[in-house]
Amino acid sequence: MTDNVSIVIVSHSPKVAEGVADMVRQMVGDEVRIAFCGGNPDGGLGTNVGAIMAAIEEVYTPKGVAILVDLGGAETNSEMAREMLPAEMAANIVICNAPLVEGAIMASTEASCGADLETVRSTAEEFQA
Amino acid sequence: MSSNLNGRLLEATCQTISEHADELTRLDQAIGDGDHGINMKRGFDALAAAAEELQQLDLPSALQKAGMLLVMNVGGASGPLYGSLLMAMGKAAVDTPSCVDDVVSMLRAGVDAVKARGKSDVGAKTMLDVLVPVLEAIEKNPASPCAAARQAADMGLEATRAMQATKGRASFLGERSIGHLDPGARSSALLVHAICNVLEDS
Amino acid sequence: MSETVTGQVVINDPDGLHARPAVKLTKLAKSFCSDIAIKAGDDGEWINAKSLSAVMKLKARHGAILHVRATGEDARGGVDALIDLIKQNMG
Repeated sequence: MTDNVSIVIVSHSPKVAEGVADMVRQMVGDEVRIAFCGGNPDGGLGTNVGAIMAAIEEVYTPKGVAILVDLGGAETNSEMAREMLPAEMAANIVICNAPLVEGAIMASTEASCGADLETVRSTAEEFQA
Repeated sequence: MSSNLNGRLLEATCQTISEHADELTRLDQAIGDGDHGINMKRGFDALAAAAEELQQLDLPSALQKAGMLLVMNVGGASGPLYGSLLMAMGKAAVDTPSCVDDVVSMLRAGVDAVKARGKSDVGAKTMLDVLVPVLEAIEKNPASPCAAARQAADMGLEATRAMQATKGRASFLGERSIGHLDPGARSSALLVHAICNVLEDS
Repeated sequence: MSETVTGQVVINDPDGLHARPAVKLTKLAKSFCSDIAIKAGDDGEWINAKSLSAVMKLKARHGAILHVRATGEDARGGVDALIDLIKQNMG
């Protein structure tokens, strides 16, 4: 596989996270590696820093990882997860300020064509405008 | 009861969160997603489970380890917020704080970390509305820091009732968030009380 | 050598150019180095076919004529490929 930016989906709900990842695979294809996580450490609704770190590590590439999140805690926990990873990895991880589903599709489409991380992020965030 | 101070602080904070978990959840149901109580309880249960190890550590390491446990176990935004508070306090801490200045500089580092993590400050109806006044009160009242901290915590908490939330889930409610205490401010006030009680007894 | 090539095709998909085909069209357009623009109907505005956000906002309906315009070395290939994709009913 060519080295493309990877995507991580972080939702409060494991079902939402999995569903968004499914949509990306179906709409965009499998040129982009995508990992997802959702739920708190007990499996209820929420997010989990350890699981986010594991999802990032699963698809990490020096080309970059773009994270898409749903609500507040998902963003805060994703920022925490990024900071807890080694600095050389953290430098290649961005959290997109974009709606989860739309942002995931936009970011993945851009990533599937080989774009760099900053382009992937700005494409995801473009949908806001 | 644990003999050393770290152990007693840990015991008291875990107990107050456990006892007030339902109340925190009720407050959060009014303006948030209703999981603050259960999330905080999960985090502090993890601290209680690690009590033996935490008591063996010096203060800087114990705080950092406890912060990490909260980050990994809470499961909501309060995990990184309280986790960052403790980890930053741990990094700024001396092994045995001997004066109020030591406590103030430690707490200031923690409060700054919460502001950075939450991209927030006082007035946004958050835990900072308790933590910042508590920090200022301790600084201004080195002779009776615990009494000052308790009073500042209570006033800070009560002040959140009239505030409109601009951060977190509660911000979606806009003006409807007015009239409710902030659950994060409440949990911070509970912790301040528990810590002050232990420090005054020691 | 840079040339400009244009073409047009009727959108046959009953749902028009909706989200899933928009992704396909954008990905395909990006695989060419030429600048590629599309517009829906004669009076439409040209938009960048490589911008998913713009393509999604185009909202070209069933029966609309989609115009394709490409400028660059592989302009002919780009226009043909996009028209083929639309003709295949977006696959």
